[in-house]
Amino acid sequence: MRKDQSLGEYLFSQGVSRRGFLKFCSATASLMALPPSMVGRVAAALESARRPSVIWLSFQECTGCTESLTRSHAPTVESLIFDAISLDYHHTLQAAAGFAAEEAREAAMRENAGKYLLVVDGSIPIGNPAYSTIAGISNLDMLKESAANAAAIIAVGTCASFGGIPHANPNPTGAVSVSDIIKDKPIINVSGCPPIPVVITGVLAHFLTFGSIPDLDELGRPKAFFGQSIHDRCYRRPFYERGQFAKTFDDEGARLGWCLYELGCKGPTTYNACATLKWNEGTSFPIGSGHGCIGCSEPDFWDKGSFYRPISAGLWGSREALLGAAAAGAAIGIGSALAARSRKKKAVAEEAKSS
Amino acid sequence: MVNIMSALEGIAVRVEAASGNITPLLHEIRHALRRVAQGGEGTTIDLGSLPLAPGEEKRIEDLLGQGEVRAELNALGPTVVQETRYPGVWYITHRNTEQEVVARFIEVTRMPELLLAQSEDMRRAVSELDSKLPGGNRDVGHDDH
Amino acid sequence: MTLLDFARGPGLQWSLIILIAGVLWRLGGTILLNARKDLSRPRHKGTLTDGLKVIATRSLPAHQFEKRIRFQHFSGYAWHIALFISVLFFAPHIFFFESLLGFGWPGLPNGIILATAAIAVAILIALLIRRASHPVQRLISNADDYISILLVIAPLVTGILAFAHVGARYPTLLAVHLLSVEAMFVWFPFGKLMHAALTFPSRFQAGASYGRKGVRA
Ligand code: SF4
Repeated sequence: MRKDQSLGEYLFSQGVSRRGFLKFCSATASLMALPPSMVGRVAAALESARRPSVIWLSFQECTGCTESLTRSHAPTVESLIFDAISLDYHHTLQAAAGFAAEEAREAAMRENAGKYLLVVDGSIPIGNPAYSTIAGISNLDMLKESAANAAAIIAVGTCASFGGIPHANPNPTGAVSVSDIIKDKPIINVSGCPPIPVVITGVLAHFLTFGSIPDLDELGRPKAFFGQSIHDRCYRRPFYERGQFAKTFDDEGARLGWCLYELGCKGPTTYNACATLKWNEGTSFPIGSGHGCIGCSEPDFWDKGSFYRPISAGLWGSREALLGAAAAGAAIGIGSALAARSRKKKAVAEEAKSS
Repeated sequence: MVNIMSALEGIAVRVEAASGNITPLLHEIRHALRRVAQGGEGTTIDLGSLPLAPGEEKRIEDLLGQGEVRAELNALGPTVVQETRYPGVWYITHRNTEQEVVARFIEVTRMPELLLAQSEDMRRAVSELDSKLPGGNRDVGHDDH
Repeated sequence: MTLLDFARGPGLQWSLIILIAGVLWRLGGTILLNARKDLSRPRHKGTLTDGLKVIATRSLPAHQFEKRIRFQHFSGYAWHIALFISVLFFAPHIFFFESLLGFGWPGLPNGIILATAAIAVAILIALLIRRASHPVQRLISNADDYISILLVIAPLVTGILAFAHVGARYPTLLAVHLLSVEAMFVWFPFGKLMHAALTFPSRFQAGASYGRKGVRA
């Protein structure tokens, strides 16, 4: 696709029919979680959309986000969207290495100053810049440098969005999120460990289609995907309402598909689209496979106690402290009663003496 | 049409590992169908946006059954447009070139938009025909639409 | 640390410590304090049954005033029972108790819990209005009464809001619900809520001493 071509021109030059284009738009609208009535607008916008340059930086991460994305279950739609952007730098996916790779990044930043989209996965260690470097440049410097002229930033994954697992207690590398460092750019957090692949493509599609960033929630996540909790959209919800809970992973309730709240499901406090978009070509999602939600798209999900502890159970360390409090309370009570008694005795004795 | 409405209502929904979303979906379809039958606008429902329990998608397909029309088109992978047992209610499955499902819709309309020949495609077809016809095509030049 | 993390962690921990220590302190102090030897000869044997009898008789409206206090009396019972049902039989609450006590019990469907909680709130508000407007009740009420009532209404209202996801995001609502419960825990030993721990012992004590003195009660 030439840079001056619009997406519509490009698709037609590839022999894609109008029908094919409409199908692509329906799938894209569905991908962006837009109502089907929006397909017309999507088509109009995509037809004239220009190809944005994308620079993808990977910091302290496990490559799970990229793995997730490249297994996105809609390869045609997805590859079209990837055709429709110019992925100028992604050190896992690009062919170039070393100086050539860094040059590509610098060239893209120069040529598209103010217009390119910066995608980041992984957290940034600020404890010591040497903990993670690329081409001898610390993650912190590379982020600041690349963000300076970006139109917007997409933080892909919980690490880039909120610090993620590197940020988990005791956070040995001093890992922070993109939004902890960059304050003057629009940032879209696509959290999840990893994020749902179609959510990543959906956000790219939104930027491509409308040239703007979608509506975000207070944690900077697109509302279209993170607007409702897993619990809100969970098909096991009727069991929750009736108070039918699986007690173990293999009891009768588990077999009947009852609610997993008691087994530690974090669905009620987790905002993500797993319950509708699902995973692996729309096959299932953790709750559909019999395991509670672990809350991976929420900040500090790693530090919220056991994955198997019900949300309503407190997060105190132990019951010993409470027993200690009981003992202390009883001791003070008995002590003060005894003290009062001896005071009384003394007073009675003194009175007897004086009379 | 009246028969169809009552037939829709007569569907017994079995509830087991159910999300509770099938009955409302059927109600929505029924309302939409009545609107179209009275000359109103059509409705498209994105099945990807409904939280469904395992197996419920299949159940919806079974409940709606298969009607008289089935069309298959090949555009960026195969798409099947299947009229359901209820005329005016269409089940549309889009697949990509790898045969994987990319989107599923229920459309309630007389004729799904996608089946109509599109103006752009027709225009291109005209110019293609132009180039195939020797000489005598000047009176139907491709800019007279 | 988010508000919810605080509410589930240190907030809960400390409020429970204060609750348990405070209740045992006051209970221990009160029970041991009044231990003066009664030198008189008892009029009546079996102070134990006398005590228990008064617990029972005082749990019904005194017949002299029965007509006038019937509403007050039975609405009091109604909201207490509704409160206990929603506190003790809502499944997530049971999981909380289980994490504390090590054992649980069967719960009730959410619809029933919602109804009992709503009943409790409605009656409590009616009683609160009555307390504030009835001249005699107003005279015998102090700040402690109002604080105690509001601290019981708060967890019920925030619980219903959290349940219905109304007003804010669920994690925030849940945190506010927990914090309101924690506020109630902290106030409990030091205000009139302590009646929950003291009512029956003091009725028993009164009954036992009446019995010993031969007072018919
Ligand atoms: S399984 Fe989890 S998300 Fe589903 S209803 Fe139960 S608690 Fe909610």
